[in-house]
Amino acid sequence: MKSFILVTSALALTAGAAFADGHDVSKADVLTNYANIAHAKYEDSLLTARTLSAAVDALIADPSAQNLEAAKEAWIAARVPYQQTEVYRFGNTAVDNWEGKVNAWPLDEGLIDYVDTSYGGATDENEHAVLNVIASPTFNLSGTEIDASEITPELLESTLHEADGVESNVATGYHAIEFLLWGQDMNGTDHGAGARAWTDYAMGDDCTNGNCDRRGEYLKAATDLLISDLEFMTAQWVDGGDARGTVVGDEDAGIVAMLTGMGSLSYGEQAGERMRLGLLLNDPEEEHDCFSDNTHNSHYYDGLGVQNVYLGEYVRVNGDLVSGASLADLVSHEDAALDAEMQAKLSTTMRALGRIKTTAEAGFSYDQMLEQGNQAGEALVMGGVNGLIDQTKSIERVVGALGLDNIAFEGSDSIDNPGSVFE
Amino acid sequence: MRHLMKSCLVVLATGFPLMAQADVKTIIEQTVTEQILPGYQGLANHAESLLLATDSHCGVDDPDLRDAWGAMMDAWTRVSHLRFGPSETDARAFALAFWPDPRGKTAKALNQLLTDLDPSVSDPAIFETVSVAARGLNALEFLLYDDAMRAAATPEYRCALIRAIATGLVDTSAAILSDWQGQYGDAMLNPVETGPYRGEGEVYQELYKALATGLEFATLSRLGRPLGTFDRPRPRRAELRRSGRSRHQLIVALEELSELAAILSSDHPEIASRFEVGFAEALDLAADPDDPIFASVSETSGRLKVEILQQSVERLRLIVTDELGPAIGVGVGFNALDGD
Repeated sequence: MKSFILVTSALALTAGAAFADGHDVSKADVLTNYANIAHAKYEDSLLTARTLSAAVDALIADPSAQNLEAAKEAWIAARVPYQQTEVYRFGNTAVDNWEGKVNAWPLDEGLIDYVDTSYGGATDENEHAVLNVIASPTFNLSGTEIDASEITPELLESTLHEADGVESNVATGYHAIEFLLWGQDMNGTDHGAGARAWTDYAMGDDCTNGNCDRRGEYLKAATDLLISDLEFMTAQWVDGGDARGTVVGDEDAGIVAMLTGMGSLSYGEQAGERMRLGLLLNDPEEEHDCFSDNTHNSHYYDGLGVQNVYLGEYVRVNGDLVSGASLADLVSHEDAALDAEMQAKLSTTMRALGRIKTTAEAGFSYDQMLEQGNQAGEALVMGGVNGLIDQTKSIERVVGALGLDNIAFEGSDSIDNPGSVFE
Repeated sequence: MRHLMKSCLVVLATGFPLMAQADVKTIIEQTVTEQILPGYQGLANHAESLLLATDSHCGVDDPDLRDAWGAMMDAWTRVSHLRFGPSETDARAFALAFWPDPRGKTAKALNQLLTDLDPSVSDPAIFETVSVAARGLNALEFLLYDDAMRAAATPEYRCALIRAIATGLVDTSAAILSDWQGQYGDAMLNPVETGPYRGEGEVYQELYKALATGLEFATLSRLGRPLGTFDRPRPRRAELRRSGRSRHQLIVALEELSELAAILSSDHPEIASRFEVGFAEALDLAADPDDPIFASVSETSGRLKVEILQQSVERLRLIVTDELGPAIGVGVGFNALDGD
């Protein structure tokens, strides 16, 4: 171990930042820690998804109100590590190309199961918005007859997901599972989440809303698929994994990937698409976790993920701390004032997101905050938005301070081909 | 390589490698005084004219009202790439124009108002809290051109709704202009350590990002949305297709971006001339009066022409990111389009 440190230090003398107190931080160390944290986060996501899967199995085998609640609790817990991984999306092509299967949102849930009549029918944008696969053993998809007598991971992944090239045809991932556990939230901007009855999974005559066996089959298939997808991504970040190799293989590009993830998630994605838009439209359908009303947590853990990347630390679901060389170390070497600014802004954002979370947990839920004319709610949400936009400005300064301007964002899929803010 | 990095850092710390501070200052001044301020002045003026038109011409078929709406739409398009500062405050840009709208929020929000004969329209302070999707120029397009919407509710209510929207447009445009004429314009022209921009480098980067963002929006949304994919073209997703202005709006946007590109590259004649040639080519390709709403994207030959146009705009964006940026020493940074 000792000799290992000596070796890295020798390299760091030329490649990295030498500190007055004698310890050195190299870009290589920073990237290794970034990859270690990615691995820990995806592995935690996988472990908590397995717990969810066990709860889903129990619900299907022995449907009851208790077992439905247990599955919901497991889903909420599984979101904690996963949302912290979102900062890896932008900038890492391997994650960007994959995450649509796992966390796609928003969805036209009528594709999957029954919906209220107020939901409407097929739209200009999506002919299959009310397909209802659970009630349809066979159906026609853009001219092709589909046999869905068995609902399998393969059917969801290859045929249904993004059917007809429409992104809101979300058939897989956390939000499909969320819908199957909670059902539609019919409360608008009033308090209350989706209230699916456990009897939607009941056997025989107790079954409500029909096709309980197929609903269970869908839930099981979606959960199995989530697990195999998370296994894939965890493997991407082990020693020798492709995503890790890409990040550590080109140091400047790797650091750019880190900053790209921080900036793109903060600004375009979270502040814009996920938070401000819902407020501007007063539309609870724009809530990120709209069935479960868990949006306050989604936003909070997204923000925490951004802070994790800068500080180079992550607390695992078992309480272990993964930490090491960080962007903060690199920046403080170049410009201590900028490091202080960056850290302060990340903290300000977390305080604002924390306010949303604590208020929601006290009973003023995120959808209530979106209500037309609700000034307290607007102030809470905009506090988060403003913090996220403001920290993005400092992230840009960090890009400049680390001398990465002219290689910034090249080869980053999300920057080269970003969708519009509304897509 | 390592030495290169170091020297690069030094250069960045002092500002611009290939351009003197005085030139940057001139470029900023020129952009603000010749583009941004007149742009927002024009927007405010056209909003006033539109509101005036609603007083005497409130019928949905009225040509004067449609003309006034179209003129303001053009004025908006000329500033639509400036998504920072005053246009972002209180989400004013969203309130002026909400597009793209892939989840159909505009029709949904308008139908709600029309069905309920929602009294919000009679009080501007309350109307301000209505969904942005029902408050902007794109909502007006629905009210003036969508057949179902033109017959919804009563003529009196539709008229009140149109006036409420126009009143909001006047207020919002005036607020943006006033911010620019005051504090924000000053913050850009005279950046200080405590302001939104700490130096001319950050100001230049903002303007540079606006150019890149405008071109990206043209390729991805104005052209990319109707193009869809080869197997699944999406002509109904074209911007302003109801009023037949999809192609026109692209041309207006390109003309404005062409002027911004000329100013921002004025200290690099070689890049400036590449912009000049590139914009001329794109505008030439864009001029196809037979296909105003990109309906041709569904046919092979028509589609090819729109794709070629899209590529020409994409090449312009690449001149920004791969040539202008490195020459000046700025990066693209982040913009509101970075999400998925």
